Amino acid sequence: MEGILLFAISIGTLAAIYGMVTLALNLETGTGPLWDLGIVSFFGIGAYAYVILTAAPAEGHQHYLYGFGLPMWLGVIGAALAGAVAAWFIGLPSLRLRKEYFLIVTLAFAEVLRQLYINEDWLTNGVAGIYGLEQPLRGLVEARQYTYVLFALAICGLLAVWALTRMISLSAFGRACKALRENEALAITAGIDPRRTSMVLYVLAGAFTAVAGVFYVWYNTLVVPGQFSSDLTFFVWTALIIGGVGSSRGALFGAFIFILLHDSLRFLQVSGETAVTLTSLRTALIGLLLILILRFRPNGIFPETRVVFKLPDRAKAAEGAKRKGLA
Amino acid sequence: MLEVRNVSLYYGGICAVNDMSLEVAEGEIVGLIGTNGAGKTSLFNVITGFARASSGTVRFLGRDVTGYSGPRIAQAGMLRTFQTPVGFPKMTVMENMLVFSRADAAARPSIFRGASPARAVLEEAMEFLAIFGLAARAGDWVQDLAAPELKMLEFARAMMAHPKMLLLDEPAAGVNPALQGNLIEHIGALRRRGVTFLVVDHNLRFIRDICDRAYAMADGRLIASGPTGDVLNNPDVIRLYLGGGAGEEAA
Repeated sequence: MEGILLFAISIGTLAAIYGMVTLALNLETGTGPLWDLGIVSFFGIGAYAYVILTAAPAEGHQHYLYGFGLPMWLGVIGAALAGAVAAWFIGLPSLRLRKEYFLIVTLAFAEVLRQLYINEDWLTNGVAGIYGLEQPLRGLVEARQYTYVLFALAICGLLAVWALTRMISLSAFGRACKALRENEALAITAGIDPRRTSMVLYVLAGAFTAVAGVFYVWYNTLVVPGQFSSDLTFFVWTALIIGGVGSSRGALFGAFIFILLHDSLRFLQVSGETAVTLTSLRTALIGLLLILILRFRPNGIFPETRVVFKLPDRAKAAEGAKRKGLA
Repeated sequence: MLEVRNVSLYYGGICAVNDMSLEVAEGEIVGLIGTNGAGKTSLFNVITGFARASSGTVRFLGRDVTGYSGPRIAQAGMLRTFQTPVGFPKMTVMENMLVFSRADAAARPSIFRGASPARAVLEEAMEFLAIFGLAARAGDWVQDLAAPELKMLEFARAMMAHPKMLLLDEPAAGVNPALQGNLIEHIGALRRRGVTFLVVDHNLRFIRDICDRAYAMADGRLIASGPTGDVLNNPDVIRLYLGGGAGEEAA
């Protein structure tokens, strides 16, 4: 029984990490106008930046050049900054492009970065990756209980990203992003600069995703290039479409339902042959769900909802207009 | 207030605007007429920063704004509308109003400010919505508005920016006579509040009813200018619209 619980907690931790990335993507695509097909770029940048900043210097069998051994909290800040700077660099050329082209270029950048992790041995230790990494608060509890600690940390991280992305999307800046999403030409007439606004949004999403990358390092205790293939981008997009683009609740729900479908079959104790079948089955399951969602709930399980303000009284407004000689 | 001097605009080898000049003084309502493809909207695009003039200058409030971007022009106090009434469909009417407010513009540089707009801003928005008959729709998504409501929203939200000048691109297009009457009243009321207008429209009756002066364009060039009545009775303009017939009434 405890095994099931530990597995559920472990799956929950992974879902929380995906939830952070899905929320960041929702900020770009749901609130803003950016169809980002390269969000895994910042996930990887965050993970590698954190590892390089906090890992101990390389030992005999590992070859990465750095390993600053900095405290973890500095690593988290450094990862967020690295994600933000990477977004700025990628955004400089790509945000000049229209939606569909932006999508293609971000996908290409993600692949370029993955090749960089693979080929730049001196920095990343190549395909072998960097492993044996430390986890936060590890010494406080015994090894078996640590799953719960990491889950609690991931939930805290998820809540922080949720609160921040929600605050941003409801702010005046968020309204400007939504305006750009809805009609760029009209947004320009409201004095909104599309490139500057999109760049700020992209940098913020880069920083949030990079922090999620740190949690992913804590979860796996290693970092290898294979973790940052574009599959992850498509998984996160799938989660967001299932949950509902433009809805924080939808993004969270989508991430959890996706991970549940994608990873829960791993718990079954089956033969190797059946395991292969089940692996194919889980992809088919997710595909089927995606088709059903697009057919019957094209706006997702939790579609975007209206922003409600406490509006002034209409009669008073009409009187006010008359008093000012407007009506 | 607005001075356009010798502006030309080329799209590759095609000349959309050819050495065009016009002036609009503060408080005026000036019309810009011409048949389809005359270059009116291209000129609008140059004035409002949506297109970069190949040559010539645009001055607004005494400042050379040639080459300014669209957002900079808007921030300087010149707003425009589009041929087809548009809004931000999946935002509420009130959100559409707030996006154009000065308060939102001031709060934008901080990524967290403006989630709860000040009471005064919401009240001002409701007042403008009440004027344009949209107060009851404040909480609705713009995608649910009817076309005439969308037309009214264009004016209401422009007022949130307290513009010095409004450029209206075919405001009477697809509008029934009753709503046209409404539009004329509203434009008059806004003029009394100090807003200056440059209006493009094919509806010459509408232009005659609201404009003090008019400019007529054909093939990207100016063919007539002066008091509206004179321009509409100009033989070149009549020939342009009626192919040689006479009479403004027919238009």
